[in-house]
Amino acid sequence: MAHIQVVRRSMRPEEWTRLRFGWLKRHIYKKKYEIKTLQIREARQISEMEFEYYSDDYAPLCKGDMYFTPDGTAFIRGDVVIPDDYRGEELWLTLKTAAEIIVKVNGKYVGGVDPNRERILLTPYLAPNTEKLHFEMQGYNRSKPDDERNPESLSVRGCRQIFEGAYLAVVDHAVQDLVYDLELFLNIADCELFSEDYRAFLNRELNNALNLIDFEDDTLPGLADAKRYVDEVIYANDDYKGSGDVALLAHSHLDIAYYWRRIHAVQKNLRTVLIQLRLMDRYPEFKYTHTQAFTYETLEKYYPEVFAELKTRIAEGRFEPVGAMYVEPDCNIPAAESLIRQCLYGQTYFRKKFGKTVNNCWLPDVFGNSWILPQILKKSGVEYFVSNKMSTWNDTNRFPHNNFIWRGIDGSEVYACVPPTHFITWNMPSQIQENWEAYQDKNTGGQTLSMFGYGDGGSGCTEEMLELMRRFEKVSVMPKTEHVGAQEFLEKNLKGNRKLAKWDGELYLEMHRGTFTTKAEIKKANRRLEFKLREAEIISTLRALGGETYPAQALKDCWKKLLINQFHDILPGSHITPVYRDTMADYSEIEEKLDAIIGSGEQYFNSLNFPRTQLTFIENENGDSTRYGKKGYWCLPNLPALGHGEIRRSVGTAEEWCFVGERVETPFYVVDFADDGSMRSLYDKELSREWVDGAFNELCVYEDKPGVYDAWDILPNYKDRRVAVEVATPLHLAEKNDEVAVFETELKIGQSTWKRLIRLFRLSRGIEVENVVDWREKHRLAKAEFSCNVLAREALCDIGAGFIRRETHKNTSWQQARFEVCHHKWCDLAETDGGIALLNDCKYGVGFDENKISLSLLRATIRPDPTSDMGLHHFCYMILPHAGDAVSAHINRIALEYNIPIVKADVSCQNTFPGLFLQAMKLSEDGKMVVVRLTETEGHRGTLRLPKKVRLLNMLEDEEGESDCIAYKPFEILTIGIPLE
Amino acid sequence: MSMEQYIETVIRPKIQGDGGEVRFAERRGDELTLVFQGECSKCLILDRCVHWIEAEILKDLGERVSVRAIRKKPFFWDT
Repeated sequence: MAHIQVVRRSMRPEEWTRLRFGWLKRHIYKKKYEIKTLQIREARQISEMEFEYYSDDYAPLCKGDMYFTPDGTAFIRGDVVIPDDYRGEELWLTLKTAAEIIVKVNGKYVGGVDPNRERILLTPYLAPNTEKLHFEMQGYNRSKPDDERNPESLSVRGCRQIFEGAYLAVVDHAVQDLVYDLELFLNIADCELFSEDYRAFLNRELNNALNLIDFEDDTLPGLADAKRYVDEVIYANDDYKGSGDVALLAHSHLDIAYYWRRIHAVQKNLRTVLIQLRLMDRYPEFKYTHTQAFTYETLEKYYPEVFAELKTRIAEGRFEPVGAMYVEPDCNIPAAESLIRQCLYGQTYFRKKFGKTVNNCWLPDVFGNSWILPQILKKSGVEYFVSNKMSTWNDTNRFPHNNFIWRGIDGSEVYACVPPTHFITWNMPSQIQENWEAYQDKNTGGQTLSMFGYGDGGSGCTEEMLELMRRFEKVSVMPKTEHVGAQEFLEKNLKGNRKLAKWDGELYLEMHRGTFTTKAEIKKANRRLEFKLREAEIISTLRALGGETYPAQALKDCWKKLLINQFHDILPGSHITPVYRDTMADYSEIEEKLDAIIGSGEQYFNSLNFPRTQLTFIENENGDSTRYGKKGYWCLPNLPALGHGEIRRSVGTAEEWCFVGERVETPFYVVDFADDGSMRSLYDKELSREWVDGAFNELCVYEDKPGVYDAWDILPNYKDRRVAVEVATPLHLAEKNDEVAVFETELKIGQSTWKRLIRLFRLSRGIEVENVVDWREKHRLAKAEFSCNVLAREALCDIGAGFIRRETHKNTSWQQARFEVCHHKWCDLAETDGGIALLNDCKYGVGFDENKISLSLLRATIRPDPTSDMGLHHFCYMILPHAGDAVSAHINRIALEYNIPIVKADVSCQNTFPGLFLQAMKLSEDGKMVVVRLTETEGHRGTLRLPKKVRLLNMLEDEEGESDCIAYKPFEILTIGIPLE
Repeated sequence: MSMEQYIETVIRPKIQGDGGEVRFAERRGDELTLVFQGECSKCLILDRCVHWIEAEILKDLGERVSVRAIRKKPFFWDT
């Protein structure tokens, strides 16, 4: 039967209302005066405050001219005499732009314009009877807008922009007020989350209100009548009742680096702060929250006058520093000590500058949160944790709570808030209603939290958001709303709330699983430098105890630079090419400084607080082995805990220890290798068991096409398409001496070559695989896969300060979603009497599926960085079959030895703090104590007995007591202070 | 400096600073072919950048060229 769909082609009443709303907006400005004297000088930013100029002088900038260049900054200036008929009026600057422009008038910072706001109020910042205005503007333009969900921002993206003119303007507040009323009601009318009847009422009455205005007359007769109608008919109606209780919190998320370099964050932050300060001038009820001590530091350093203003607002309680950390770091990959330093340096700054310990951790955008965090936060003065991603970005399961208690690995608990909606909203009724409807703890959690303000690249709140907020209480259909500060919200709703549910475990984000692997070189350098910083601090502290000067500032500078680069779009790899270059340059600088601090000595020093017993590679140009392209030899160092000594090459053996035939036999194993370096069999002579059950140590390469979140995501369908790995050179014996036999194979994947050097040892059960890769693929995921002859339902994963057990089955959607997880130095699959540990020196992504371990090695993504991971990679991992489980086999200790190279330094320490891992040793921030941080990593309870009383400290180095006998629980991190004599 | 060096060392870092990517493909007479990737591949106003590149080449190298822009969109934007 033929069917003709009835399509209404004539204008619907709602469209007629919208059309007239657009007409009304044309009358917002009573009058506008074009500034025709502007001049421009294009440039490119090359450091935080340095610019490379493209011309020697300024050139005229006229309406219609093209301005801004790729990655460009533009300086715009101009003088204008205020026209007579504008004097005495409330003056505004209007400048519609795609760029982010900071504006100074007559030497004062008056505000900013960007794609989210086009005007700045001038009058309050001008001296009385001002006749001339001198404009100085600094703008940064880029193709990536603050928020891709804002269609107005999207429509103007692009590097080269057309200058649409700048104007002095006078606002018609009667029109503007009505525009805000209509914004509010039209948003509700369009939102299906609100009552259908109320929306019908709105559509009818908004039409009636606009019918009162004569749009054919430019003076808009009837405007006041329309406003009165809106007040008396629409606002006054309370027949329709909403429900809910939503706390509205002003915030702007600022990525330190992402689609822009770190150097640009300085001005992005200035603009963001400035805009909020100017809103505070106009809206006395407005309060705003701002994170990251680093951003406050740059403001203080480069824009002291704005910083002074900010300090005043902080003292008033209106500008609220939130997030105890130095930056908003990734919370999967950094070591425990890095996360502690984020808190230490963040809180130290907030205390020093504002007299305030921030009691919340504010990480709206991070890609999941490690189980070690609650303890670190709790011991850093933090009671509350806020992070949005799990509620809005999980791809499989709905995270079941919004306001709850988060229990950490050691049993520490913090109050947690995972707001139901995105951290960037523009405070529209529809977004507030959506937040309430998504809120899962309505009966237990108190208010729900809705953040508003543009973000990612900063920018923050707008006049419109605040104007709408003033109107919410007059709209009966909306949830009850309250404009809150962070501490106010958290303490009101979470503190002491006995009804809150508890989440005991990591806050795993079911998305962005690729960030454990993307940009492998950054992860490798980060791991190396975390340990090198540890080494440098321990050695410097011990030298200081011997009378040498402690390089406190140099160490702190290195730490801070490392911490900045742990930002959640830097370390995870989700950034553009120049950010990568900056980071690698920072790493080189840190490494050079640390090498200089560590220096050298006559003897080798063991910075570990247990004896070094594992076979270790010592670089030596006369050595007969090669590792990482350097000559050296393998030996058992036998260095005492925190002691120094000589390392002598072992004498070796005259006897043959490695037999190479169809199989390879060593004192520990009989191995049946395939040509590609995988093992068909790994028979353990000591433990009399076979370790292999399928492909083992096989290099597997997959098509990896997760879509638009290319650098961020690995999807479970990566397994669908395998890419051929060809053997270019079959495995063969390449090197053999008294200690090691090295087997080499070269593989080919597309345009890439992959050399594997597999080491079997005379004195170690470990089997090391060194990988030298010339990586030229796109959209590929390379994994080393191990099918183990092990029956285990849980894998153990090192998470930096303890381990987490993760199911290897796929019984429920929660296990299915965790097909790729983050681990640190090792993971382990074991039965009660034996298992296989996989140690690595720079890899973080790993998957488990029944008896299979798949270690993620390399990716090849193209967004945001089309050059990501291309080029040479060099990394190692070690297969370590062992008796017993991972704890009894001391896998963590072995992994520490594997990751911490032995250096020369003539220092030692009498006290070795047995039973715990010496995570850090440093001089306290005030230089009066030796601070020792000790971590229980194996799940034991115990007592630390010390020769004399020490200070018990929190992680901010505050004294909390003293003792010479400290009981500790599983996975506890202790901080003690030993006063300098 | 050759045209290829100029594109790779002068223009490319600036384009990359905006999340874009440009690679030298070939030059035939006055026609210079450049491949645009990343954000450039879907930029609605790429032609403005192309004209800017032509102007920069004229300013810095004294050569008048016409740039032929090839967009290489990643699969997820290739709809």
